[in-house]
Amino acid sequence: MSEVLKSLSDDLAAAVATAGHSIVRIEGRRRSPASGIVWSADGMIVTAHHVVERDDNLKVGLPDGSTVSATLVGRDPSTDIALLRVQASGLTPATWINGADAKVGHLVMAVGRPGTQAQATLGIISAIDEGWRTPMGGMIDAYVQTDVVMYPGFSGGPLVGANGAFVGMNSSALMRGVSVTIPAATLTRVAGTLMAHGRVKRGYLGVSAQPVRLPAALAGSLNQETGLLLASVEAGSPAEQAGLMLGDTLISLAGHPVHQMDDLMAVLSGDRVGTSVPARIVRGGQVHEIAVTIGERS
Amino acid sequence: MSILQRLNDEMANVATVVQPGIVRVLTGQNGAGAGTVWHSDGLIITNAHVVGHGGALRVALPGGRVLPAQVIAHSRERDLAALAIEANGLPTIQPGNSSALQPGDWVMALGHPWGVMNAATSGIVINVGRDLPDMGSTAHNWVIASLHMRPGHSGGPLVNVNGQLVGVNTMITGPDVGIAVAVDEVKDFLKRTIGSTTPANMV
Repeated sequence: MSEVLKSLSDDLAAAVATAGHSIVRIEGRRRSPASGIVWSADGMIVTAHHVVERDDNLKVGLPDGSTVSATLVGRDPSTDIALLRVQASGLTPATWINGADAKVGHLVMAVGRPGTQAQATLGIISAIDEGWRTPMGGMIDAYVQTDVVMYPGFSGGPLVGANGAFVGMNSSALMRGVSVTIPAATLTRVAGTLMAHGRVKRGYLGVSAQPVRLPAALAGSLNQETGLLLASVEAGSPAEQAGLMLGDTLISLAGHPVHQMDDLMAVLSGDRVGTSVPARIVRGGQVHEIAVTIGERS
Repeated sequence: MSILQRLNDEMANVATVVQPGIVRVLTGQNGAGAGTVWHSDGLIITNAHVVGHGGALRVALPGGRVLPAQVIAHSRERDLAALAIEANGLPTIQPGNSSALQPGDWVMALGHPWGVMNAATSGIVINVGRDLPDMGSTAHNWVIASLHMRPGHSGGPLVNVNGQLVGVNTMITGPDVGIAVAVDEVKDFLKRTIGSTTPANMV
């Protein structure tokens, strides 16, 4: 009586079963466990940084029901990605969907393994847009939003397409109240860096700032409406060492205009750590240029 | 016809097939929940929390008839109650097997949220088993589903793609997570309490 509906239902259950071979349980925090994705057959596991609250005594529940101990390879809070390693072989690595094949309106499932079995919720892809920067300054290669329900413990698990392959990794920590998925491209990039260096370098200045409107005369000559007013400068920080002061308005760094915090975050990328760059500021109504050596965020 | 149109027709059909087997359980002046017709000779399943602490209990059938009802079995732990009404030839909802359900399976919950009769909401099974979100392990089996269940769905049916009963809606743990008593628990409850899953052996 329900030919299409039954096929759909069976296909969804089959996709969960397929996906489940590459989904693990992550025991790394005090409250309920979360989920992770098998990155490689030889035991690399990718998960969400925020569900790995400690650095050791980590355990991973494998699809075959066994639980093994895991070590932390590295973590990147700015993209909410952590990489773990387990002593195991013959694991089933995740199969990834080409990012261009995911479309708004497609049926997708969030699948997790907070318990012994794979569990699932269903929704559609709500929005796909260009890359975005998290509040912590991490670069996510594409914006993927869905209306799937993030069930407790689903963070670190995959968004699964119709064929059981993965669109990306779900995290409920990057944005409040919205289900966003970190695309495979970002996972590949960050996991590669974590494997090589154990961490993702982020630049550090040591200031807090807020956008302010520049005086009309300056705005005209600089061709820039807003800058960043320094609200605090940390003692001993790269900013203080360079001579930046409370009340300065930062208008560009390393030649890039900074209209808002996002712009500053973008300039403070890992490859600039240790380099000296020019900071243009407004102090006492005059534009000054100061050299700043970018530090590294610990 | 597109797959999506066929899907819509089939989902609507499941609701149509199931709706005649859903009743309203009326307690006192205003309290009301849903009930599921288990047997055509007047055996109704609902939640223990819908029945509450006695009082004049009545069942409103889909056609509008309102009949007095008696609680013949009750389990607070499983949140189940069996009611008897003087009626014959009632349309029933065919019981399925909750043990055959898998995460990802499509399900539909029906009931009377906020007085809206026979309102349907559908989604998929998140998990089947004894573990409840935020409440840990229990002694009984539950179907946890990703759908928009609301308080008035309590006592109503959770059905599968074939319109078979797989659970009795009982509670929510959030706006998008509904929990039903697994139908296998209902069968066990009836066997233990009235000795049968049919009203012939009612005591």
